[in-house]
Amino acid sequence: MSHFLDRLTFFRKQVDTFADGHGVVTDEPRAWEDAYRKRWQHDKIVRSTHGVNCTGSCSWKIYVKGGIVTWETQQTDYPRTRPDMPNHEPRGCSRGASYSWYLYSANRLKHPMVRGRLLKLWREARAIRTPVAAWASIVEDPAKRASYTSKRGLGGFVRASWDEINEIIAAANAYTVKTYGPDRVIGFSPIPAMSMVSYAAGSRYLSLLGGVCMSFYDWYCDLPPASPMTWGEQTDVPESADWYNAGFLMLWGSNVPQTRTPDAHFYTEVRYKGTKSVVVSPDYAEATKFADLWLHPKQGTDAALALAMGHVMLREFHLDRSVPYFADYARRYTDLPMLVRLVRQGEHYVPERLLRAADFADALGETNNADWKTVALDADGKPVAPLGSIGFRWGEQGKWNLQSKGSSGADVALRLTLGNDAPTASVAFPYFGGTAPHDFTATDHPDVLPRNLPTHRVMLKDGETLVATVFDLFCANYGLDRGFGGDNVAYDYDDDKPFTPAWAERVTGVPRAHIIHVARMFAANAEKTNGRSMVILGAGLNHWYHMDMAYRGIINLLVLCGCIGQSGGGWSHYVGQEKLRPQTGWQPVAFALDWNRPPRQQNSTSFFYAHTDQWRYETLNVAGILSPTAPRGDWNGSLIDYNVRAERMGWLPSAPQLKQNPLTIAAQAKAAGMEVKDYVAQSLSTPPPLAGGEPAPDLIRGWGEGAAPPLELSCHDPDDPVNWPRNLFVWRSNLLGSSGKGHEYFLKHLLGTKNGVLGKDLGAEGGDKPREVVWHEEAPEGKLDLLVTLDFRMSTTCIYSDIVLPTATWYEKNDLNTSDMHPFIHPLSSAVDPAWESRSDWDIYKGIAKAFSAVAPEVLGVETDVVLTPVLHDTAAELAQPFDVRDWKRGEIEPVPGRTMPNVAVVERDYPNLYARFTSLGPLLEKLGNGGKGIGWNTQHEIDFLRTLNGAAPNGQPKLETDIDAIEAILSLAPETNGEVAVKAWEALGKVTGQAHAHLAVAKEDEKIRFRDIVAQPRKIISSPTWSGIESEKVCYNAGYTNVHELIPWRTLTGRQQLYQDHLWMRAFGEAFVTWRPPIDTKALAPVQGKHGNGNPEIALNFITPHQKWGIHSTYSDNLLMLTLNRGGPVIWLSEDDAHRAGIADNDWVEAYNANGALVARAVVSQRVNPGMALMYHAQEKIVNVPGSEVTGQRGGIHNSVTRAVLKPTHMIGGYAQQSYGFNYYGTVGSNRDEFIIVRRMSNVDWLDAPLAEKEAV
Amino acid sequence: MARTWRALGALLSYPTEELQVATAEIAAVLADEAIVPAKQRTAIDKLLTELATTDMYELQERYFTLFDRNRSLSLHLFEHVHGESRDRGQAMADLIALYASHGLEMTASELPDFLPLFLEFLSLLPDAEARALLAEPAAILRALADRLAARDTAYAAVIDALAELAQAPSVGRSEIPDEDPTDLVALDAAWEETAVRFGPGEMTDGCSTDRLRTRLRASMRDARAAA
Repeated sequence: MSHFLDRLTFFRKQVDTFADGHGVVTDEPRAWEDAYRKRWQHDKIVRSTHGVNCTGSCSWKIYVKGGIVTWETQQTDYPRTRPDMPNHEPRGCSRGASYSWYLYSANRLKHPMVRGRLLKLWREARAIRTPVAAWASIVEDPAKRASYTSKRGLGGFVRASWDEINEIIAAANAYTVKTYGPDRVIGFSPIPAMSMVSYAAGSRYLSLLGGVCMSFYDWYCDLPPASPMTWGEQTDVPESADWYNAGFLMLWGSNVPQTRTPDAHFYTEVRYKGTKSVVVSPDYAEATKFADLWLHPKQGTDAALALAMGHVMLREFHLDRSVPYFADYARRYTDLPMLVRLVRQGEHYVPERLLRAADFADALGETNNADWKTVALDADGKPVAPLGSIGFRWGEQGKWNLQSKGSSGADVALRLTLGNDAPTASVAFPYFGGTAPHDFTATDHPDVLPRNLPTHRVMLKDGETLVATVFDLFCANYGLDRGFGGDNVAYDYDDDKPFTPAWAERVTGVPRAHIIHVARMFAANAEKTNGRSMVILGAGLNHWYHMDMAYRGIINLLVLCGCIGQSGGGWSHYVGQEKLRPQTGWQPVAFALDWNRPPRQQNSTSFFYAHTDQWRYETLNVAGILSPTAPRGDWNGSLIDYNVRAERMGWLPSAPQLKQNPLTIAAQAKAAGMEVKDYVAQSLSTPPPLAGGEPAPDLIRGWGEGAAPPLELSCHDPDDPVNWPRNLFVWRSNLLGSSGKGHEYFLKHLLGTKNGVLGKDLGAEGGDKPREVVWHEEAPEGKLDLLVTLDFRMSTTCIYSDIVLPTATWYEKNDLNTSDMHPFIHPLSSAVDPAWESRSDWDIYKGIAKAFSAVAPEVLGVETDVVLTPVLHDTAAELAQPFDVRDWKRGEIEPVPGRTMPNVAVVERDYPNLYARFTSLGPLLEKLGNGGKGIGWNTQHEIDFLRTLNGAAPNGQPKLETDIDAIEAILSLAPETNGEVAVKAWEALGKVTGQAHAHLAVAKEDEKIRFRDIVAQPRKIISSPTWSGIESEKVCYNAGYTNVHELIPWRTLTGRQQLYQDHLWMRAFGEAFVTWRPPIDTKALAPVQGKHGNGNPEIALNFITPHQKWGIHSTYSDNLLMLTLNRGGPVIWLSEDDAHRAGIADNDWVEAYNANGALVARAVVSQRVNPGMALMYHAQEKIVNVPGSEVTGQRGGIHNSVTRAVLKPTHMIGGYAQQSYGFNYYGTVGSNRDEFIIVRRMSNVDWLDAPLAEKEAV
Repeated sequence: MARTWRALGALLSYPTEELQVATAEIAAVLADEAIVPAKQRTAIDKLLTELATTDMYELQERYFTLFDRNRSLSLHLFEHVHGESRDRGQAMADLIALYASHGLEMTASELPDFLPLFLEFLSLLPDAEARALLAEPAAILRALADRLAARDTAYAAVIDALAELAQAPSVGRSEIPDEDPTDLVALDAAWEETAVRFGPGEMTDGCSTDRLRTRLRASMRDARAAA
């Protein structure tokens, strides 16, 4: 039988078991599998990122199901790098991965809210009054005003409709503009790069209003002033991929795996390639795991370490043996060959300013800006003014470049040193290390160190003068014995002389052998690779009062080894997401430059120092930081006096600007028959009327009976009610819960509510009061009429606000994000509609603008505003004050707007049409063109394009209705995202430099990046002259690249990397050259020591506040997922020794306090921390698991409860080439690392959770 | 189909003048339908009186402080089940699907797990079905009721009524561990994490004991401590 019919042809029988009984076939329902299927089912995936100040700018996939965001995962489709380079992805970290929680969190803001007491007052007033009159009736009645301002932070919110709230805000703004002036309406928002359209929404509204936009980079102390000083650049750094090109990497005060998580892989990868890695960190930070050698100096002594390394490098690579590459680099790209005048001071000479062409009788043949052309000696010993100095940048074309040529076109070879045969002189250098506060090491060297160095005599128009090269002075400053005799120099590294390795070992605790070894390896690698040695540095250094010393010490190492501008080398300062790549496209939208110029922009540190009255508590005397070699002059006064001088000399901006309403000044000028500029200058410098009501003796021309009183600058009296900031907008920021140095002073003086200030002001303490500023015996409390905060979560700032507006999250709006860590431009895109009643920042400000336009006509029409601006960097005005510091207020010089005092501009404000202007791109771009950083171009073509793309508004201008309209405007106007504009920009720069640069962009001329393009995939930007690196297929982005390779000068006085800072104030404060400055003594302990005892031992520790692992600043710090990874609330790290001393066990509740206030946290007792310091990750919010303080009785406090901003005079310098003001470019910074605290164990932990009846609960 | 659910939902919504006017109507509906037992109705009367007679700003501030500022009193049910877990998104999507299967579409800009919204949904269902659905979050309702009772607020009555209708087992306040915020040792013990072990069943996903423990801990946390 064939069994033919036994076989089944079309079926086979289902078997019960298979695989020898290991498998069983069943037919039960499979619905249970849905649970797994649903886990990955989704309706759509949307690309977005997290608009938080972390520099990540990581691409994420947002999964949406049924209109609900369900989860996010890392996106992995970045454009590829080159062969032999790792790719960028995956980017992202645990914080970003938990973001979708925020959308539906109980802590999400859901509805617009207003303080109940205020709303009640408003509705009562509004029922019978027009909007502005209603607002006036509230804030002009002290009892009504105090009824809500004094309750800030104490709960009491109710919901209100958007329309009603917008009207309140509009009425408050209109009232303030009319009554006090638009510069009393202030807005603070940081880091435009993290969501630039959201930033622009608020800043556009404020700029159209005439309000003030506040800086962030300096206030956060992320701005390294050493960068503008040395390079004339805010900050420009290599992208993280360039770490992979380094041959020697140092990580110095930066905690890469923790704070640059998505970039850290490049660090790991380059170590596989054999790159050596040295990590400098006082504590055993997470980054130390990268180290081949870990150096742990005492915190705050990094400058001493860098100086000793520089000492070794100079000795072994420049003096005993000169490396040709290093010497050539120094000659062409640094100020080291430039000549410095030496002047007598007692028995010695001191270095004065850089020699200028104008000093010579024939001005060396220079007819244009001879005051601003620096001079060196050519190989034949003749003085020349080499091309590239800032005098060549303005007023002439084609000569501002770094070719080794003189003005005539002849080649030059500049001399670095005057050599061994030149006559020597004894030149005095200051030494500050002889005294040091607390447990920092002081050495027994004198405070003036004379050193011999070679000099040269030159014949100048006012006689013969002694000069020296910067290089020779520089070597003397480093204490190198070059055989010129004299003391205070060393040949032997073991000599204890400043700044030898032996000396540094004493100050820093780092063994000298390690210092010498690292310096040698660093330089040897740079020698072999032409500059591929890199230093990654960060907040660990930059937050000290004398941060410039550490920074310049490190910059010197890089410059001496020719590492700046070379792929794989350079200065990698990663503090803050400051890099807004399409900057020149964004600025017109953000600051309404399309409608009126200039905008009002203010440096926040000086502003908050004045207006939160931190100056009233100042303990740092100017005499204590002045150099023993300071030139003769009046160096009296307190820190705020210096700031006031800087404001009136046109160095720093002011807000408010004048005591008088700026809307009234043009009319006064007209009545006096004068130009506004002249009127302001004359009126300001006229002595005020004498006491007793008598008129001033010499009234200015045109003034008769009943004329307006003379104008006064607001900065002389920040506590006068007419000078108070009245309305404050905070958006994209947690000013009070995170960045506000001197938190308790904010609460006390700006907000006028409960606070924990423990110290007394100078009045009560009998201290030296400022000379230039009016002292009110009674300090104001509660300067603000209205605090409005936009946020997506109930942050500490929201809790203290009068009005809280719910914003869309990063998955609910369209926006742009860029970072300095990678070259891609990145979208935030709307995956779902904003939840509850929230709206995007763009829509919120648009709504306020609309309400304002409706309300304004009650009191405002088309008005003429008078705007004061400081002398600005990257404008021709930066050549303002070439030699000396002269103050018109003291009669030392005439007040000339834009030269010796702030510039004065007249701006028309059309208040009823503010909304129409907000929503359309104005005509000034067509009339004046666009540009940035000193160059400009015609942008008509782009405006025409936008008129077609976005459509035309009723006024005929391109529409800016939606966030996407604004994005397209930014992308079209910026060279980084529009190749055609890039070519125009490079050509514009080429005219100034006389070099051809357009080849850097011409291949991309037709490339136009639009919003939908980046939603499809992040796009690499196009090379642009806004930045000093290039985007190419051959090298990674690296700062200074075009300076070195395209010979574009740095935007400094010398046009070169400037290591000698010759401004009078730099010399007066002893920082013309880098030196060692121990931390300052803030004297915050004495007033509280032993006064708040609870029986537990008290110890004093240095207070260090690095970036945390479980949050990005305060964001995510209220996220339970992240809190669970740590200890569920605020913690402070202590060393085992200190904890033992104070009887503190791990996890105990401890309190930290000083004169500024108090905070509570749990102790983490760890070997990670050095004895002598306490480490508290900053911005752990006081809204989560924070009990009350035993000392203040208030809820906990945040890390900034124990800090206070202290200004540094050298950061106020202006009107002087690279040391001229720029928004977020230069200015005072909010340092906080020098602070000391008392730490002790708590006896009673009180959660302050008593019922509301006590009206205390937060 | 009972209007009681809608009445209770209204009471748990942000107080407005409209609600103030409607208190009498609400009382009438509750009495007419008599779904809420008499004992709970008496307690609710106190809230109704409070709503009818207190200053509106005071009422709104109180509501905000109670429900908008407190994670532990959130009226979004999944806050108490899923918290910040990624499961929450799926749970909400499921709920939307449930509403859709009854031919209902959400119009308010609210999340699907918002208790008043859920109650309105119940009001559109046959009584038995509504009660069965209400029973699902019974434990949450009981915990919320206890936490509100601990705060001495009249709102406790509404949630207590719901818990009663959901037939949530009354655990009694005494069984909620009375966390003394000053007893640091007990607090630490409650918060201590178990050591990580690398093996099956110890992840915080799925039905692991860790996850269960975390959730239990969260639900039992004293309402007063989670300000």
